[in-house]
Amino acid sequence: MALINIATHEIHCKIVYYGIGYCGKTTNLHHVHRSINPNARGEMLSIATETERTLFFDFLPLDLGTVHGFRTRFHLYTVPGQILYERTRLAVLNGADGIVFVADSQAEKFEENIQSIAELEMNMRRIGKDMMSFPLVMQWNKRDMPNALPVPVLERYLNRRRVPSFEAVAANGLGVFATLRAISKNVMAQL
Amino acid sequence: MEQLTNLIISDRELATISAVLMKLMNDTNATSAMLLDKSGQVVAVQGNETRRNATTLGALLAGVFSSSREVAKLLNEKDFRNIFQQGVQESIYTSMVEEQWLLVIIFDKFTHIGLVKVLSKKASDELGRILERVRSDTTRTKSSVLNLQFRSSVEDTIDLLFRD
Repeated sequence: MALINIATHEIHCKIVYYGIGYCGKTTNLHHVHRSINPNARGEMLSIATETERTLFFDFLPLDLGTVHGFRTRFHLYTVPGQILYERTRLAVLNGADGIVFVADSQAEKFEENIQSIAELEMNMRRIGKDMMSFPLVMQWNKRDMPNALPVPVLERYLNRRRVPSFEAVAANGLGVFATLRAISKNVMAQL
Repeated sequence: MEQLTNLIISDRELATISAVLMKLMNDTNATSAMLLDKSGQVVAVQGNETRRNATTLGALLAGVFSSSREVAKLLNEKDFRNIFQQGVQESIYTSMVEEQWLLVIIFDKFTHIGLVKVLSKKASDELGRILERVRSDTTRTKSSVLNLQFRSSVEDTIDLLFRD
């Protein structure tokens, strides 16, 4: 739930990157952190295991500066992708204003992606949000992999709501900002 | 109740919240007091040390609280209302306000936890009443803040800032 503080003239929104393990959620945040104007971002915080897998979440606060007298901030979070962290994903989803579903385009990850989107739908119900109207964009990541499934296949099975989707190679930044622009606008439109 | 997509805090409510936090801080002799939204966003903060790291603290403390709620469910508890994190020098006591906000008190070894618990409960009740007012004001105030010009300016800023 976004917070609009009239007294301090601030708007805060929470965006969560969701998806299976190694699909590139943290990579998206790293690219934003690396490439955005340093004045527009805070420190990136990662709660990771010793092998640098996300244990709890990554967190990157972004500051759009003052727009019409309001300082607008987006807080980006990732969830841990590994199956065993389902409850942790639910904890991070709490209070989200928008979701980016990052799908690993590789054929052998297809089934895991399907399970992950089904889990997301269930988790949204658990926190009382209507998945059909909630701000959501899809990112088809790892488009550079030789075994990447064709986009129409991903669209058909993973994007039943036909929300905006973006092809990406997050490791070199392709599609990262297009995705972020889309979800940010979507979140603001729903406020 | 209508499902709100946001909460709008007015000047008047923020002043009241800040006064509640300040009173709690003074009465318990705590180092700082914060009010967080359960999503991790900082509603208000008192205490200079904490103010500097407020955004990160907010995200982490809300994460801890949210995670503990999932633990509670696994134990067939509805939730854990409070969390106490005890350090050698500093400790943190977090309690839930009406399923929406988290009241956080940071205090040192000279403050007794019993006092923090009792006074937090009292402050939570007061904050709960403020939250009720915020919820009912939100629907009324929304259109005056988020007007068309604001929305179009924010879109332009997003295009400008979030680009390759």
